[in-house]
Amino acid sequence: MNTSLWIALVCITLGTYFIRVLPYLWMKQKLAKSQNNGAISNMPTWLTVLGPTMIAAMFGTSLVPAHPDTLSWVATAVGTLTTFLVWTRTRSMGWPILIGVMVFGVITLWFLRKTTRQI
Amino acid sequence: MSTTIQPLFRSPWVQGIKDAIPLLGGYIPVAISFGLISMQSGFSVLETILISTFIYAGASQFLFVAMVASGAPLWLVVVMTLLINARHVVYGPNIAPYLDKDSRWVLLMHGLTDQIFALAHARLPQLPSEARIGWYTGAAVLAWFSWIGGTALGAIAGGELTQRWPMINDILPFALPALFLVLIIPRCNNPLWALTIAASAIGALTLKVLGFPNIAIPAAAICGAVVFYALKNQRIATGY
Repeated sequence: MNTSLWIALVCITLGTYFIRVLPYLWMKQKLAKSQNNGAISNMPTWLTVLGPTMIAAMFGTSLVPAHPDTLSWVATAVGTLTTFLVWTRTRSMGWPILIGVMVFGVITLWFLRKTTRQI
Repeated sequence: MSTTIQPLFRSPWVQGIKDAIPLLGGYIPVAISFGLISMQSGFSVLETILISTFIYAGASQFLFVAMVASGAPLWLVVVMTLLINARHVVYGPNIAPYLDKDSRWVLLMHGLTDQIFALAHARLPQLPSEARIGWYTGAAVLAWFSWIGGTALGAIAGGELTQRWPMINDILPFALPALFLVLIIPRCNNPLWALTIAASAIGALTLKVLGFPNIAIPAAAICGAVVFYALKNQRIATGY
């Protein structure tokens, strides 16, 4: 990489870091100020709404398979449903994810084997 | 999962690492792909690893190497990559109420990616306040190292790896939607939040399928927030 490319990399690195750290520092200061004034330290409501909606949006985008064919959509739907059903029983993080990935993997491999045999 | 504080039965660091393990299923395959594409775009192994170490933001890294390889002006490369990362502005403020005054948090914000935010947003309220920095450090450091390690692997042997074990690319990435699902589903405990979450998720999925992956997350999140306020105002207006 030449010098100008290194400068661009440094700008992106610092910019990304500031995007992450400055809003945190701003909120920290806002919370400390409201605590000092004896007020209840509340976050703006729109921020408390945007947090969960961001995670829901990440869930939505991550559902789209890398190769969106019928097989991948079926495997994704069954894997997601399995994850949800296991979660309703365990209310934990580890087992639903592990079993969801295993079911997704079994369906993917089963379909792949079937397709290879037909060829 | 509930939001009541639960006692930890192991060290916060170890618990953080354990909670972040599902992230590896999503991180490593994408990092391997990045390493491979970066090498094909003309970057060296060391440069590729440094990009992952310092920028540490998946989509913008892919855009960075693609734009540089296509000869785009560097100011445009910087602006576009920062625009993609702009969605991160809401992450710090959302977890700030759960963080103490320890100055190390400022450095740890480098690790506040989409996935670590989702994990921290769900888990930090459940942890005793003195355990939170250890938990976050364990989770964030594992995710960061897996991203750097995956990139190195992809840069050095990515082509051979994905040819020999196609399941790395085909199966493991499903850990990410499964993780996001278990993180967000406890929020759907009333019709208002269930509809808000559904609107955001369906909106993001639709935008990505239609070919807008980079704006899908912020646009769908804003769409979900609009649904939230519309339903809330309707409830107030009708007296329910």
